[in-house]
Amino acid sequence: MEVEAHGKDTSLVLLKQGAEARVFTSTFIGRKSIVKERFSKKYRHPTLDSKLTLKRLNAEARCMTKARRLGVSTPVLYSVDPILHTLTFEYVEGPAVKEILLEFGGSRVSEERLDDIAAQIGDAIGKLHDGGLIHGDLTTSNMLIRDGTNKLVLIDFGLSFTSALPEDKAVDLYVLERALLSMHSSCGNMIDRVLAAYRKSSKQWCSTLNKLAQVRQRGRKRTMVG
Amino acid sequence: MKVFDIDENTLSLSLYSEVTNSKELLDSMQAGKLEPEVALLNASLIPDVFPVLAAAHKTLRAKARESLTTRSLHSELVYNYSGSKHISESLKRCGISDNSTYILAAWFDAAPDDIKAIGNIIAGKEIDLEELKGRANTAQIQKHYKISVLELEMGSLADAITCRIAARDAL
Repeated sequence: MEVEAHGKDTSLVLLKQGAEARVFTSTFIGRKSIVKERFSKKYRHPTLDSKLTLKRLNAEARCMTKARRLGVSTPVLYSVDPILHTLTFEYVEGPAVKEILLEFGGSRVSEERLDDIAAQIGDAIGKLHDGGLIHGDLTTSNMLIRDGTNKLVLIDFGLSFTSALPEDKAVDLYVLERALLSMHSSCGNMIDRVLAAYRKSSKQWCSTLNKLAQVRQRGRKRTMVG
Repeated sequence: MKVFDIDENTLSLSLYSEVTNSKELLDSMQAGKLEPEVALLNASLIPDVFPVLAAAHKTLRAKARESLTTRSLHSELVYNYSGSKHISESLKRCGISDNSTYILAAWFDAAPDDIKAIGNIIAGKEIDLEELKGRANTAQIQKHYKISVLELEMGSLADAITCRIAARDAL
């Protein structure tokens, strides 16, 4: 008889605090994990607050696992706790795409690496969109490159929703375009490389990219005049 | 057999092949007379221990909150492992049937006496847990958990099952 020694260290270490949630590192049955806790907002009515928090918690769990079903890599979901309002998932070892892009221009990041990353991003978004899933917060800090395999992993599905509208897909891409332009203009034309891969991956690329051209003219928000 | 720590509790797992008395096991379990109480799972649906541990974690949490969905702690484990909300179907598919020969026994907080007792109840050959991966029925797992080829290209069978166990109640 063997005893698997894990150490019972399930202590939480705060990693990040946002407006909607706190993110901790922890251990789940011997594996390094991330715990995302949606906290309550004291300014909301308690009943409404718990309903909203729970709804968003479940939506995030659903979208994360739906992305995996569409063949897009996301952290493995370990547990959902509807009472503590927490999600526990796999800790992915590896840098954010943001860090890699900011290093470009330094020495260690090659042009080929950027091409590979852009291609993976475009491919992943194409798969999500064809499956009717909108990520909602496509920034380079929500994309990780897994150590060892160099595969892209999308994280933070807190703003995700399902939609088949070209409008929603175009806005999703537009958010990424703005992020790339403002943070990573030194990397050359990342967005064109991403969109080229998107076009190959998504069967509905045509209507989405047409819409994207319109969205670029007016910005992310629709004007509701007239 | 191997013991795993899950927070403050333990889960012991033993894998058996060539089991000959599954009908008796099933009958005494359904009569509530199986002593000690143990969960018997259809091992061909289990490619790795981790999803079982994740299901056990979920089971213990429900127990602590007194919100078990099924009648006992051990049937709850089988139900949770199935990743489905249909209880009788879950127990049928992920539990054992009359002619099961390949079984994973799982029990919570086993006392040393229980361990001996289990060995006596199950008439089969105990094999190493490492065998799970090679003996798993991939086609059956894919069908039961509705795992597409696309998802398998991206991640392992065990990851896909773990996600479904965790996300079941969010769906």
